[in-house]
Amino acid sequence: MREKETTLYLGPQHPGVTGNMMVKLKVAGDTVVKAETHVGYLHRAFEKLMEVRSWMQCFPIVCRICVPEPDPNEENLARAVEEIEGREVPERAKYIRVMVLELARMASILLWMGGQSGSAGLYTMPQWSVGDRDYILDLFEELTGGRVYHMYIWPGGVRRDLPEGFEDRVLKTLDYLESRLPDYDHLMFENAIFQKRAKGVGVIPKEKALEWGVVGPPLRGCGIKHDVRIDEPYEVYDKLDFIVPTYEGGDVWARAMVRRQEFEQSISIIRQVIEKMPKGDYYNKVPNPFNWIVPPGEAYVKTESVRGEFGYYVVSDGSLKPRRIHVRGAAYVHGVSLLEKILVGANIADVSFIMNSLGVCPPEIER
Amino acid sequence: MNLEKENKFAKQINETFHSAVVKVQRERRIIVELRSDLIPPFLSFAKEYLSFIHMAHYSCVDWLEENKFELVFMLWSYEEDVMLIVKTKIDREKPEFVTIKHLWPQAETYEREIHEMYGVDFKGNDRLGEFILEDWDDLPPMRRDFDTVKYAGEHYFTRPGREDAQDVRETIARHSGEEIPDFAKKYSIRRDEE
Repeated sequence: MREKETTLYLGPQHPGVTGNMMVKLKVAGDTVVKAETHVGYLHRAFEKLMEVRSWMQCFPIVCRICVPEPDPNEENLARAVEEIEGREVPERAKYIRVMVLELARMASILLWMGGQSGSAGLYTMPQWSVGDRDYILDLFEELTGGRVYHMYIWPGGVRRDLPEGFEDRVLKTLDYLESRLPDYDHLMFENAIFQKRAKGVGVIPKEKALEWGVVGPPLRGCGIKHDVRIDEPYEVYDKLDFIVPTYEGGDVWARAMVRRQEFEQSISIIRQVIEKMPKGDYYNKVPNPFNWIVPPGEAYVKTESVRGEFGYYVVSDGSLKPRRIHVRGAAYVHGVSLLEKILVGANIADVSFIMNSLGVCPPEIER
Repeated sequence: MNLEKENKFAKQINETFHSAVVKVQRERRIIVELRSDLIPPFLSFAKEYLSFIHMAHYSCVDWLEENKFELVFMLWSYEEDVMLIVKTKIDREKPEFVTIKHLWPQAETYEREIHEMYGVDFKGNDRLGEFILEDWDDLPPMRRDFDTVKYAGEHYFTRPGREDAQDVRETIARHSGEEIPDFAKKYSIRRDEE
């Protein structure tokens, strides 16, 4: 006899996402038969708003597109405007940008560690990792004035130079975070229960990954080595030495291991940045923001965010305001078309767990 | 700047699609402009023969002055590390296009959004309909002629202050018995009553 199907509305508040998003599940017993993503709880019409704002006014808007990692938004928009304008960026600013991006990546991975293990029922980990993330937010607060949203990277460079002795404090924080890694391993990554929950769950087929538009850690978790920082180096990533970790399997465990290794790579990248950072200017002044006309043109720029390729398509018609700014978040694909496919056959208890491993961030989907 | 592989792609595209206007924008960026009916075969050609397997982005731009919508496809080749930006203009009065979800399944999501925000009808996509907005019966909101300020004025109201709202300065003055200096009185919210 065929088991009766029940419709289950998971969300909009649930442990699988940073934000609000609902998944409409058809379940038979406790197995998912069909999944449909339902978004709209966080739509703030940012793209429409930006069409009636001056270019500079767009920067406080874009960082709000992603809470855990807002900096790729600022960096992307700044770089797109620079590309259309042909504006040069001082070398020191490029190094500072990479440092900020990598710090944001680390903060975001710490938040993911908390979410991923929390959705598996391991509640000690969020206490630790979110607490440790605050040390990075302290650095952001000192550098930019803001803990979560920074509005620090803008066209022509960065908003201000590093405070005195800031590099030392970054290095000390990195040493501390590195010393915490064995604890994280004992608690989470070597934990038999976590491994049992993560292995073989939420598998992305390797042969379909590229065609389905999978990017970032989920792609590298399929054993496919692609990273925007290598494929199309931006800022100063081509002058830095780092590896792109990959892992076979395509499951939650593989994605966890990729992020775990990326954390170490980020520590190494920031240390190199501080060692190689030249002295000099940090900002090429833009014209008065109220009369700032960006010449007609278009640009598509992209960054490797912690969730994968993050892109901005910016069109200028030569006026004081942007014609179109369209944001491509990795979650746009991961959270809708990919999630709907890989949830089929999963257990209800694993749904949040799988969503967390993909890094689904609803504000990127609806903006 | 070495544009060898970009020029190679541009030549290949021009040989197959004679009407395509191909421009190498910069290193790793090629812009192709095409007639709208040639887009599906071109995308298929780019994916199968030119190794542009990754559909990175799918966008729509409203050119109100020309009465056109511009659909923009960003394709990335992992083999050559080059991005192909394919653009086409469609009529704005009766915007119609065909779905490309048979080439890339994630295109379905982009089409749902473009349908909702611009009103473009994608033939063959059966999931068009409510996506981000709920119970929306106005003009598609991302169109340039949709006036956000007007809409907000018609549908929302400015909330009056609370009735028990107290002026900080006055409250302190009342409790401490001190007089409010003349220069500060103009900032008081109850100044009309006095």
